Amino acid sequence: MLRLSLRRRRALLPWLFLGPGLLWLVIFFAIPLVNQLNVSLQTGDPETGYTFNWAFGTYSEAIGDYHEQFLRSIGYSATATVLCFVIAFPLAYFIAFKAGRYKNVMLLLIVLPFFVSYVLRTVSWQLILSDNGWVAERLRDVGLIGEDGRLLATRTAVIAGITYNFLPFMALPLYVSLEKIDRRLIEAATDLYASRATAFRKVTLPLALPGIFAGSLLTFIPACGDFINAALLGTPRQYMIGNVIQNKFLVIQDYPEAAALSFILMSFILVGIGLYARALGARNLTEAAI
Amino acid sequence: MTDFEEFERFTRRRLLSRAGGTGVALTGLPAILAACGGVEGSQEKAKEQNKEKAASVNHPKTEIGNWTFSNWPLYMDKKLLKQFDKQFGGKVKYLEDINDNFEFFGKVRQQLEQSKPIGRDIVVLTDYMAARWVRNGWVEPIDKKNVPNAKNIVGNLASINYDPKREYTLPYQSGAIGAGYNIKATGRELKSIKDLFDPKFKGRVTMFSEPYDSAGTVLLMDGIDASKANIDQILGAIEKIDKANREGQFRRFTGNDYTTDLAKGNIDVALAYSGDLIQLQSDDPNLRFSYFEEGNMVFNDNLLMPAEVEHPYAAETMFNYLYDPEVAAKLAAWVNYISPVKGAKEILQKSDPKIANNPLIFPPEEAAAKFHAYPALSPADEREMQEAMAKVTGA
Repeated sequence: MLRLSLRRRRALLPWLFLGPGLLWLVIFFAIPLVNQLNVSLQTGDPETGYTFNWAFGTYSEAIGDYHEQFLRSIGYSATATVLCFVIAFPLAYFIAFKAGRYKNVMLLLIVLPFFVSYVLRTVSWQLILSDNGWVAERLRDVGLIGEDGRLLATRTAVIAGITYNFLPFMALPLYVSLEKIDRRLIEAATDLYASRATAFRKVTLPLALPGIFAGSLLTFIPACGDFINAALLGTPRQYMIGNVIQNKFLVIQDYPEAAALSFILMSFILVGIGLYARALGARNLTEAAI
Repeated sequence: MTDFEEFERFTRRRLLSRAGGTGVALTGLPAILAACGGVEGSQEKAKEQNKEKAASVNHPKTEIGNWTFSNWPLYMDKKLLKQFDKQFGGKVKYLEDINDNFEFFGKVRQQLEQSKPIGRDIVVLTDYMAARWVRNGWVEPIDKKNVPNAKNIVGNLASINYDPKREYTLPYQSGAIGAGYNIKATGRELKSIKDLFDPKFKGRVTMFSEPYDSAGTVLLMDGIDASKANIDQILGAIEKIDKANREGQFRRFTGNDYTTDLAKGNIDVALAYSGDLIQLQSDDPNLRFSYFEEGNMVFNDNLLMPAEVEHPYAAETMFNYLYDPEVAAKLAAWVNYISPVKGAKEILQKSDPKIANNPLIFPPEEAAAKFHAYPALSPADEREMQEAMAKVTGA
């Protein structure tokens, strides 16, 4: 075995720990990213191939042609994120504070859908929401949708599908952060004459912020690029930017524009997260999480 | 498409890219980026090479060995493959890995461009994609000495615009594009393409997202010979589809996936493939398929050998086998599409008259007379059509 001085070994240690992860990221993240950046600046067509020539015009063309789908993606995924929060918070709260010995069973129930493939789960929603299905008929009975109205192939269906598919990503981080809260803090608050509502607002909620932050990122980011829900539960009028990118890559094979769209989406999300983190005070969040 | 538009489009791209280029202050990066550039291909050269290769093609008889056949899902009676192995020896690796012409092309494009084998000895591609492979020289010519049964090809398919002498391709199966509908919901038989645009079915109609199918059908509605249509006529048809779509006539644009909507009663009418409806009818006899009185688009899927093919003799033996009327009859009875092999119907008349008399598998003559193959478009026109349609379908 090679003998190294203690100092040397100390210096190498971080690389030893970081090495595998770093290598993975370089090979499967950094290189493809640079490659796609290169592709996004090429021109040509699928038959004769594409050549690199700094074609920044593709970016403005992509925004011009598909800003509608961009805005729709952001709108849908933001709505779904809020819905996820509204549904998941009480759920996570209940599991963390009240579920007692059923805690593990309930957590298992949240994770259970993951045992079935994502596409299959969404296809089964097609059946649930179909025009002659039970749900649509009951809603028709109570007059919530018109006589020839439908659920499937609407905006409602797409947002509902996204909300359903991403709910666990919101519920689990929320649960973790709620579970960690020291109950004595809430007790102390009530001892100091805070009402239960005030204690919740001033103690529980701030301490759950890291979970809210993580949960909403885990929901919003993949939802933004999602195309399965819009493809299976929507119509062209509900298509999101993921559908456009998928079609551009696989069918039309306009690789440059598809790559440009992906980069635009990525920068959109990065800026969005930056603003969001600043609003919530990310520094405090990471500290709180530790 | 006029020369002027072509010119203008070209300059627009060029201008934009140049404007972008001047603003760049990065150094060092260009070299790395440029290293991953694409490959230029020349179709003129490919044409010459094709001709030479076709003239001198000779695939000597060898052992069949282990070879590979790539096809679409549910497009082969596997018993026929077993019988083939038994009869000719060797072992065919049968892959059902072609789900979409373009997707499949994307997967093997780089090997084709670099003249490397794609690891498959037979692929099955629809007309427009087969045409693309032929014009770029990505095909191996067929040695007709090994395929004597090729003489059994039906008359109207013996020649096609991209391969007039069938030197590289042989039709595998064809299908008509017509109306698939639920007669209980429509209350009447549908006979005309105009029915797809009937406001009575508003929001309960699906259309194909593939413009060769959908725009072609709309052209037939307007009395235009879709096989000879030019890009302006096609763009006009796409505009018509766009207008109806904006008015909410179509529920979705689909590939094969309209079948679920039709079976579940989410839609009343679909632009549909004949073969699909045969499958659906066995579950629900109210589902019907009809040929349009204005005529129908037909797609042909073609057998071909990719360039640099490793087992040409095995592939050609399979071609010959599939063109044996006995085998073709069994295949037609299993896949329910239209067979390009003469004599298959006569054989089925004896063994399985129900199938031989099914108008969806053996179309009546008055319908077959009005079948239209896809038009032969230049690559630029094809792209323009695809992009125009993509705008309509929202992707």
